[in-house]
Amino acid sequence: MRIARAQHRFFVLCVAPSLAVLALITLLPALYLLATSFTPLNLTRPETLWDFSEPLVSYRQLLVDDRLANSVWVQIKLSFWTVTLQLLIGLAVALLLNVKSRLLEALRTVFLIPMVLPPIVVAIIWKVIYTPDISPMHGLFNAIGWNVPALITDPNWALTAIVIADTWEWFPFTMLMVLAALQMLPQELLDAAKVDGCSPWQLTWHVTLPFIQGVLLVAGLFRLIDSIKAFPLIYILTEGGPGSLTEVTNYYSFLQAFNFSYLGFSSAITVVLLCATIALSWVIIRAVGWGVRVD
Amino acid sequence: MQGLAIVLALLALAPFLWLLVMSFKTNAEIFRFPPRLFFPATLENYAALWTSEFRTSFANSLVVSVSSTIVSLVVGVPAAYALSRWAGRGGGTITLWILASRMAPPIAFTIPYFLAYRYLELLDTLTGLVLIYLTTNLSLVIWMMRPFYDQLPRSLEEAAWIDGATMWQGFTRIILPLSGPGLAATAILCFLFAWNDFFFALILTRTEAMTAPVAVVNFMNYEGWEWGRIAAGGTMIMLPVLVFSFVVRRYLVSGLTGGAIKG
Repeated sequence: MRIARAQHRFFVLCVAPSLAVLALITLLPALYLLATSFTPLNLTRPETLWDFSEPLVSYRQLLVDDRLANSVWVQIKLSFWTVTLQLLIGLAVALLLNVKSRLLEALRTVFLIPMVLPPIVVAIIWKVIYTPDISPMHGLFNAIGWNVPALITDPNWALTAIVIADTWEWFPFTMLMVLAALQMLPQELLDAAKVDGCSPWQLTWHVTLPFIQGVLLVAGLFRLIDSIKAFPLIYILTEGGPGSLTEVTNYYSFLQAFNFSYLGFSSAITVVLLCATIALSWVIIRAVGWGVRVD
Repeated sequence: MQGLAIVLALLALAPFLWLLVMSFKTNAEIFRFPPRLFFPATLENYAALWTSEFRTSFANSLVVSVSSTIVSLVVGVPAAYALSRWAGRGGGTITLWILASRMAPPIAFTIPYFLAYRYLELLDTLTGLVLIYLTTNLSLVIWMMRPFYDQLPRSLEEAAWIDGATMWQGFTRIILPLSGPGLAATAILCFLFAWNDFFFALILTRTEAMTAPVAVVNFMNYEGWEWGRIAAGGTMIMLPVLVFSFVVRRYLVSGLTGGAIKG
């Protein structure tokens, strides 16, 4: 009993500082964001600070802003293509590498490089590749006589260019998660299937894939949430252009806040984005049951 | 199969190698096509960086990343331990809260921090950056370390308590020494998060506290596209990242998914 009480007090003392700091640095700012979204705050007009006379003005504006609607559509296209391609390529490479061999195990580390590079370096790398003057890709195309436009300034190609760069950066994430899951695939299951005369294709389709579909779902959800935050690639490669063809919601919110100074309106966009993220996080927790204790 | 894997790896690596090689080229060599396989390598891009403001930004990045890592570990590790041992109520809510603060779009924090820092005079200061990096790093520490402590048997510290040790001694003398590998991996991931950040630093700093990623991007705007310097700066930013990532590659999965999947 004495130990139990001492234990309880000790645990409270351990958790309290973290909760206090988290409240101060995440909860308080979230409330501040919510409050700001109810004002028409514009930094060039100081009187709009804490002006709650028309709390829903920014939210009403959300509904009628065509540029915002466009940005949501761009976001959906970007998220759909990047998540799909990353899952497919990541899965394919993982299945290819899932063989016991020294060489392939070394290659796993090589494939991780795009994912661990600082996002800003990834953006610089692709800026080089997409800039015709110095690009090895454009040099190659010219050499074989293809006349390829500068992808990031071409309306038909700009979004595709971003999708390619983002897929390159993040397919290793799916690969890594699938490889981790494959290590837990029980060998007996594979042996039993082989005894029953399964071909390698049947083995992959009927045994391996059903085993890793949960991991694929989680990887997809994580990438989906992260795709909402896409910033450095868009900022460096296209700045949302040409026109607003690559302007995703996150980037539009950034422009409204820090280029046009409409912080109130931008806060309203961000509150909606934040709610979407929290909802997706909740789905993840339900999907993997993380935080539910089993002891 | 192995041949295919090697070809794919080279293809995946090519864009990265191109930047690395570019950092050793003169400007004339950069614009040359077809590129020469053997070109006179030069260190002048790096030398130019060393004598410019970039040096200060690089130091800023180091200071901010190390400070935010230390603060997150000191505050977060005891909490991770307690949350692992103490099946109290509200665990689910705390989990969602922690996951959400990791997942939140950076702009959700940037707007309120930007507004608050104008009054607190924290804009363009290293302290301001350390504080905003805590939003992610503190959650990361709790998340990475909690599953780690779940795996350590309770009998360890219970034995110490029966021998008369206090709770605190049980934690510092028994549990912490066993946490070495987990602590190292967590520290490196925290460091990398702060080191890699671009968005927060872009908005919350101007000149004094500018970090290396923002400084590199400025070479694109003001000084007329100095590709050699941009490549050299990019290389300097990514070198520590590559070394550290190689060290913690086994922990990357749980770091990125917050312990949802154990790699």
